[in-house]
Order: sequence, then C-alpha cells, then structure tokens
Amino acid sequence: MNAVTMNFLSKIYTGGKKAVDSVSLSLSQGEVFGFLGPNGAGKTTTVKLLNGMLSPTEGNVSVFGINPSENPEKVHALSGVVTEHAQMYDNLTGIQNLVFYGSVFGLSKNDSEKRGVKLLEQLELGDAKDRKLAAYSTGMRQRLSLARALMHQPQILFLDEPTSGLDPESAQNVNSMIRRLAVENGITVFLCTHQLRYAQEVCTRYGLMAEGRLLAEGTLDALRNRICSGMTVKLKAKNLPEGLCRQTGEFTFELPLQSEEEIPQLVRRITDAGGQIYHISAELPSLEDIYFTLTENFKSRETGKEVSI
Amino acid sequence: MKNQITAIIKKDIRGITSNHRMFVTLLAVPIVLTVVVPTMFILIVRFAPSESADFQKLIAMLPMASQEEVSSESIVRLVLNYMLPIFFMLIPIMAASVMAACSFVGEKEKRTLETLLYCPLSLKQIFRAKVLAAFLLSMFVSAISFVVMLIVLEAETCLFTGFFILPDAKWLLVLLLVAPAISLIAITLIVKASAKAQSVEDAQQGAVFLIFPIIMLLVGQFTGVLLINAWVLLALGIVCAFLAILLLKQSMSHFKYETLLK
Repeated sequence: MNAVTMNFLSKIYTGGKKAVDSVSLSLSQGEVFGFLGPNGAGKTTTVKLLNGMLSPTEGNVSVFGINPSENPEKVHALSGVVTEHAQMYDNLTGIQNLVFYGSVFGLSKNDSEKRGVKLLEQLELGDAKDRKLAAYSTGMRQRLSLARALMHQPQILFLDEPTSGLDPESAQNVNSMIRRLAVENGITVFLCTHQLRYAQEVCTRYGLMAEGRLLAEGTLDALRNRICSGMTVKLKAKNLPEGLCRQTGEFTFELPLQSEEEIPQLVRRITDAGGQIYHISAELPSLEDIYFTLTENFKSRETGKEVSI
Repeated sequence: MKNQITAIIKKDIRGITSNHRMFVTLLAVPIVLTVVVPTMFILIVRFAPSESADFQKLIAMLPMASQEEVSSESIVRLVLNYMLPIFFMLIPIMAASVMAACSFVGEKEKRTLETLLYCPLSLKQIFRAKVLAAFLLSMFVSAISFVVMLIVLEAETCLFTGFFILPDAKWLLVLLLVAPAISLIAITLIVKASAKAQSVEDAQQGAVFLIFPIIMLLVGQFTGVLLINAWVLLALGIVCAFLAILLLKQSMSHFKYETLLK
C-alpha cells in the first residue's frame, strides 16, 4: 500500500486563489520525499489537504488508504505534523508540552514522560526540558515541535520547513534524525522546504512545485536525466587552446560535457595543444540547477501562453 | 478516548489556575457576592431601627410578610433561601465565561489550535472537552463560594441572633441541577461563539452581549419559581439540563477544520 496517493488534487480557496492545481503523486512507505518550491507554491496547502484540515476542491487524496477528508482522526493517529502554524503552549515546560500531546494521542502519562525525555535528549533539549516554552529560542521550539510530532511513533511525518530557524549544527542533527527515522524505523517523510541544498542531503525522491503545479518528480538521477542532463567540468589550468573553455578566473575554466566518457578526450586535447592541467573536477547538476531550469521553462511557457492569448 | 479528553480538560484548567492573579480574581468576585452582600443584609437586620417607615415598607414587600410575623430570623432565612440561590445561578457562568470565550479563539491566537486539531480526536470531542473544562471550573468556583458563604453566614447569624439557619432543600436543587444546567447552556453557547470568533475580544463581547441577556432572562424566571415550589423548580431544572445536553450534542455538527482555522 502506498503511504500517500494524490490524484488530480486541486484546492481553490474562497476568493478564487488556486493554491494546488491538479497534483498527482504517490509515495511509498519509508520514502523521504522532498516537496520543494518557493513560498506560495502550494506546499503547506498540500500538507493541510493530506491531514484533512482542508477539503480538496477537485481530485482525491489518501494516506495509508484513509481519506483524510472523511476520517481525519484516523489519519492524525498515523501522522506527525510539524508546521510553522502548529505551535505549543508557552505556559508549559518542554516536557509538560510533550506529556500533554502524548496523552492526547492516547499514551499513558508514564509512557509519555519516558518517550518525551528520550526525544528531548535526542534533539539536544535535555537541559531545557523543565524550562517554560516562553523561554525557548526559535530553534529550540522547532526541535520541540519535531519531538512532539514523534511522540506517538507515527508512520508518516509531514514536515513543513523543519529546519527553518535552526543553526547549521542543529539543522544537521535534525537531518540525520530524519534519515535515521526513515532507514531504521521505516517512517515515511513528506518534507516541504524551499531550502533545496538541505533537501538534497536528506531526501530520496523529489517533487518540484511552482504556483500550485507539480513541475516534475523523481529521484535526483531521474530528474537530471530528464531535465538537466550533462555536467560541468571545472579546470585549473594554463595555456588552454583558445575558445575551448569559458574562463571563470585567472587560471580557472569551465565547460559543459554530456558524460564522463568525454573527460579523457578533453584532457588529451589540452595536453596535446601544450596546455598544463593542475586540477580537474566534474560537477553534476544540483537540485537547485534542476529547479531553476524547470522554473525558467515553466515561466517561459506561461509567458508564451499569455502572449498567444 | 476518555483519557485523551481528560488531558485537554486538565490542560485548559491548568491554563487558568497557573495564572494566579487571574484565578484569585475569578474566585474573589463570587466570594464578595456571596459573603459581602449577605453580610450587609445581616448587619442591616441587626442594626437598622426596625421601627423606621422605610424598613417597614421593605418588610411589607417580602413574600412571607402576610403569612407570619416578620422577625430577624425570617429575614435572614429569606436572604439565604430566596436571594442567594439566584447568585449561585449566575456565579458559575461568570466564573467560566472568560475561560469559555478563550477556548478556541485563544488557542487560535496563540497558534496552538492547529496543533490540537492534528490530534486523533474529532472536532466534537475537542469541543466537548473545552465545554467540560469550563464547566468543571465553574462548578469548582461555585462549590468553593457556597462553602465560604455558608461558614460566614452561619457564623454571623449565630453571633448576632444566637441560632443557626440551615439552607432548605431548594438549595440542593439549585446547586446540583438548575445552576449546572444553566451554566452548561451558557458555556456551550460561549464556546461555540469562541469557535467562530476571530479574536478573544470578539468572543468575550459576544458572550456579554448575546449570552448574558438570555441567561439573565432564564435566571429571572427562576427567581419567581423559587418562591413557588420545589417541584416546579425540579421540573424546570430537568428541562434546562435536557436542553443543555441537546445543545452540547448538536453543537459543532456543521463545523469543519477549515472554518476553525480561518
């Protein structure tokens, strides 16, 4: 059974704004899926549709076979959600908050306390567990939200910008925790972010969104093959043949190649022409490169449409 | 499921009781109402010159004036058994109205509502938990006020008149049936308004302008009933309790998460 299935999912808000536009997607269990796009791309609306907080205008959605619009409570029992709008109580301490949410999810007080303390330790909040939430920094609140979402050992995690406000060390810690949860515990992760570099570190598959539309989805290799094939070769060299490469610095150059097979040929050509190579590296297109190519294509298509209209 | 609802109730009550200043104010108003006001009556009865024309006029207006000779004891009994029960119909509503008004919209303003909605409870269950939390608080404040009132009143009457005046059976009906039923109606309406409101101020104003007149009207009717008969009081109490349960069951059936998070 798929963890998540969306079929032609659309959401139009009162007022006419189309936040999600005919998105079809499925996630297997244990996958870390990066749902990527800028602010306003429709990521948060999709998370709300997946949790039954919003009802779709068109299309349908299911989480572990359950329709969230019909049985939101059943979906909530299986899922943990971290979003910017889902905060906790300032008048309670870190551990009191976790015990409360544990109890609301049906855990006994004792189990909630044990699990809460363990999660706080894992997220480096052990020392702050008896501090009131009002005294927590943004990063600490964010990590506590992750702990809260994990209290009832969910089968799927919906994380909306989970590392925003975190310092690099904490972000890395959260990343490795997410990866561990997927690998060791088989938890499916639906991760929404606009930080593409961060997503590339954690996710196994990606969906790229813009203006409510899913522009492309697949693994990084699949996306590279489909959207941004080839690679960029970077060289530190002297006396290169004229016009072979684009110069980026005093002795640095770069040129696009289709595959690694072409590199020996390039090296031979340079050395035969009397050039000296000090360093050479090949860079595959990053998620950012793929995303920018996609959005540029999307924008030019949209502009074309507008012009033709 | 019961434990999950209990967790919400405990959290909501704690939210009020942990704010000591607010909690003391919450207790102070009813206690002033049920201790200071009757004390003033007793002092008037004890020290006012009973021969004065004004006092005689006042006595003549009392319900038992025609039936028996008016004594200090009968006036104190009148205050205890006819006037104070009315206060106990209002006290629980007054005590719970702030908490009830904040119930949903307060969470919305603190951005904790969405987190609560992500729990595996239906909207109806969350709504009931919110109503019950405010209801339990109101009953607690009411019980404390009653005990304090009784101790002070008995001590004062014993001191000034030398005898104890015990509350009659209608008190039981008021405290255990009528007051809880009326306050449950009011709390359900206020919590429902809180779910629709856009700010805490909106919800509180809604409670003051819409709920209180309705409740005053209801309480006003009971003032007359108190003078008539315990059985009529019992019947009306049952009707109110039935109405409260019906209201509680029907509320939120048309609510969606989307409406709440707007």
